[in-house]
Amino acid sequence: MAELSTNQNDILLKVENLTMHYTTRAGEVSAVDNVSFELRRGESMGLVGESGCGKTSVATTLLRLLPENAVIKSGHIYLDGLDLVDLNEEKMRQVRWKKISMVFQAAMNALNPVYKVGDQIIEALENHNEVKTNQEARRRVEDLFRLVGLDPAMIDRYPHEYSGGMRQRAVIAMALACHPDVIVADEPTTALDVIVQDNLLREMIELQKQLNMSMIYISHDIAVIAEVSDRIGVMYAGRLVEWGASDQVFKRPLHPYTYGLMSAFPSIVGPKRELTTLPGEPPDLLNPPTGCRFHPRCPYATESCAREAPPLRDMGNGHFVACEHPMEVSLEL
Amino acid sequence: MKREGYTGNLVTTEPPQEPLVRVENLTKLFPLNKSLFSEARSFVHAVDGISFTIQEGQNLALVGESGSGKTTTGKLLVRLLNPTSGKIEMILNGTQTDIASLRRGEMKKFRQNVQMIFQDPYESLNPRRTIFDTVAEPLTVQGIGNIAERELQVAKILTTVGLAPAETFMFRFPHELSGGQRQRVAIARALVVAPTFVVADEPTSMLDVSIRTGIMYLMQKLSDVLGVTYLYITHDLAVARYMSTRLAVMYRGKIVEIGETEEVLAHPLHPYTRALLSAVPVPDPTIKRSRANIKGSIAKPIDPEPRCRFIDRCPLAAEVCRSNDHPELVELAPGHQVACYRAGEMA
Amino acid sequence: MAEIAKPSPQPPAPDFIIPEPGSHVPVIETPLWKIRLRLFLRSARTNFQLFAENPIGLFGLGIILFFALMALIHPYLMDNVWDRNIYDPVIGIDQSIPYHPAPPSADHWLGTDPLGRDVLSQLMFGTRAAFVLGILAAIVTVTIATTVGALSAYYGGIVDTIFMRLADLIIMTPTVTILIVMAALFNVGFVHLAIIIGLLGGFGGATIIIKSQALTIKVRAYIEAARVAGGGDVHIILRHIIPNLLPLSFLYMMFTVTTAIALEAVLSFFGLLNIRMSWGLMIYTTQRAGYLLDMSKWWLVFPAGLAITMLCAAFYLVGRAMDEVVNPRLRKR
Repeated sequence: MAELSTNQNDILLKVENLTMHYTTRAGEVSAVDNVSFELRRGESMGLVGESGCGKTSVATTLLRLLPENAVIKSGHIYLDGLDLVDLNEEKMRQVRWKKISMVFQAAMNALNPVYKVGDQIIEALENHNEVKTNQEARRRVEDLFRLVGLDPAMIDRYPHEYSGGMRQRAVIAMALACHPDVIVADEPTTALDVIVQDNLLREMIELQKQLNMSMIYISHDIAVIAEVSDRIGVMYAGRLVEWGASDQVFKRPLHPYTYGLMSAFPSIVGPKRELTTLPGEPPDLLNPPTGCRFHPRCPYATESCAREAPPLRDMGNGHFVACEHPMEVSLEL
Repeated sequence: MKREGYTGNLVTTEPPQEPLVRVENLTKLFPLNKSLFSEARSFVHAVDGISFTIQEGQNLALVGESGSGKTTTGKLLVRLLNPTSGKIEMILNGTQTDIASLRRGEMKKFRQNVQMIFQDPYESLNPRRTIFDTVAEPLTVQGIGNIAERELQVAKILTTVGLAPAETFMFRFPHELSGGQRQRVAIARALVVAPTFVVADEPTSMLDVSIRTGIMYLMQKLSDVLGVTYLYITHDLAVARYMSTRLAVMYRGKIVEIGETEEVLAHPLHPYTRALLSAVPVPDPTIKRSRANIKGSIAKPIDPEPRCRFIDRCPLAAEVCRSNDHPELVELAPGHQVACYRAGEMA
Repeated sequence: MAEIAKPSPQPPAPDFIIPEPGSHVPVIETPLWKIRLRLFLRSARTNFQLFAENPIGLFGLGIILFFALMALIHPYLMDNVWDRNIYDPVIGIDQSIPYHPAPPSADHWLGTDPLGRDVLSQLMFGTRAAFVLGILAAIVTVTIATTVGALSAYYGGIVDTIFMRLADLIIMTPTVTILIVMAALFNVGFVHLAIIIGLLGGFGGATIIIKSQALTIKVRAYIEAARVAGGGDVHIILRHIIPNLLPLSFLYMMFTVTTAIALEAVLSFFGLLNIRMSWGLMIYTTQRAGYLLDMSKWWLVFPAGLAITMLCAAFYLVGRAMDEVVNPRLRKR
């Protein structure tokens, strides 16, 4: 396994060979397979991939918010030196939300419709012993609201009185409540209109810089990832196939899947170019393909691709790819 | 332009003088507070007096955020909703007909020529019916052909949309297919009667990126080969760019800008279009976008005041915008119309 | 720096070809009805497998089969094994035994009733009656409830109001009281009873539940698609709404059978019904003879009561197990 980082000192989160399976009636689903990456303090990382690639599974695994039929088969999650995989639920509850928290997909679902929004955040604060009195909790929530751009008067309103963008901000406020070191944002702007999304993205970047927080931004939208992340990981069928600095991965994608994904994305800037399509469908994770999981769809696959799963290799400049025949091409978008 | 129907004959038609679709002052109001005993007092102006034309062979993209009225417009054009007022004229089998005033008995010709592709591939197919039943439904319901002919037609259209061999797909159920395949079935269903005009309501927004382009490519190809014209509804400007020759931008029930797609994207004249364009993220980390100079989100157009609908968010709002009614579409460049009192100052 | 060996890539080709118009397209050989039959059997098998995962469903089904067997064997026994004069459930009498009711013996496994008739024979004959009554009532209920529910949901307005108020009326008035009054006024036999129970059930509570289900179906996108395809009201109701309601209707059928059997027992117990033999009638006979609370004559009450309870419970359990098949959210992983 290749070493991933350069500077050891400011690595905040280090995920090593993380593997997680779901057990269903039909069999075992290999949702996350041998995923490794690192996140430095204050850095923002994007995890991109299509539906079913495992990116949300990675997020829920990091926070140990897995359903009953899921199990972490192997691997380590080192958060500030502490391995989260080994912790029991009791200890994990202390880590969760205080050191690492999550903004869920479809924020409407994260807010309980029968409680006032402010109360829900206060509850989170009290559960984690962040505040001593109710007054202190209220003040904290007011500060948080101002931080995410919400009017503190909305604390005593119910979720249905909020607009989509406001609800998303409330959920972000909830995630920030205990000043975590890492925030995992799972498709936070997918359900929002483009102008609201734009505002929210900028504010999230601002917040991240202001609080010197690390962020893992998960999305299927490459354009959003490009704007938000310093480093990018591309996931396919439960595996991390490419990893590196944003501009590296975008301008010189090494993995054929990444290349296919980039060129399949229509853009409004630049000349109108021909769109390419990726043939086939993402694989069923109950019976994933042998060897490299992308080989059935890859135009450059050879026999060895079907036999062995290629490991993540460093191609220089901290740009990693899991492919035996990486591409050499510059992408003009 | 050659158009080939499913009879297999090649039909050459001259590009008609009349547009395929002409919409004039189309309005749809939804009542609020209506009960059994009282009349409604306020209305949501979902679509508020819009006008546009679509020439045969020139796909129009209708772009807007949620609440803009684009989906409602699409539904009005296929008569899933009945317009409150206004005219919709379409050329059906050579004659121009006012769709808006068609009564139930006269809809048959309409339904053979105008169809719709829905957004959600998981919801637009009845889970209890086979693919064959679903795709054959327009034929069955309109009494076209006998069983054998219908089977053949369905097999043909399934092959055309890429679900081959057709026999293996025809008797499966929707839950056995992937999202992309289901959307192909939806396209097949819309095209099985060989319509001239199809309203596509965000057909790719619920699909994965790599599948999306396949569907878009398919729709483009079909448009060329089968002679179908689309009204492509989307919130995604990048997708609109690839699927259309002309583009119309909607805001709160009104069309604020309309013109050739490349032209509108390159030289947007309405402040809302500019904001929309600058808000779209670009998949290139080296390009830094400038801020979209606009805040707030769209409120529902309930009983709107008689002034420009965009005034609360517009960076150029001025007295003229406040004291006059919502501006009309004015042609500021060839084929490029804008509804803004101050757009001329930017051109 | 690792090696990269790659020619300049071509964008992947689109994954299909549009056939030339008029080119040969294979036609399906097997006739349509055969295919539909095959599909129906396949889905029936899948549904049964789901059903069979639930032990209570199998238990209920087992009991039903047991009783069905009893009902089927009875005519055979009457014709070939038993002496008609002695074992006829209505007019038989065993004159070799001096005192009736006689306790269980080798000749009469469950003894005889106060009128000298064999209890086991009565029990078996009563099973047939119970099934016929239950199923007839259930069919009437379900047909009415499905039709009315679908129409109310689809048309709304005045149609909906009328049926819903009718349903409210029926729910408000106690069924048993109505039945008692009707039975006292008219000559109510089996078929009459079945139809009355069916009508009361069909226009009553079941309609409301089925209507709410129909409402959720009405707003689905495929209904709009059917309308755009040119489907009129009749087509949509018959081919889209009702097929999607049938699973729920079948579920209600199970519960209706339970109610029908229990109601019949109650009415027969009061001697209000014009029927020849049923389980309820057995208990009525016992009560008339004054042996109802006499524990030493347990075979007079116990078998009939147990049969009623068990068959009702069996249908209810089957209904519960079917609920998990019909409503996927109830299933365990």
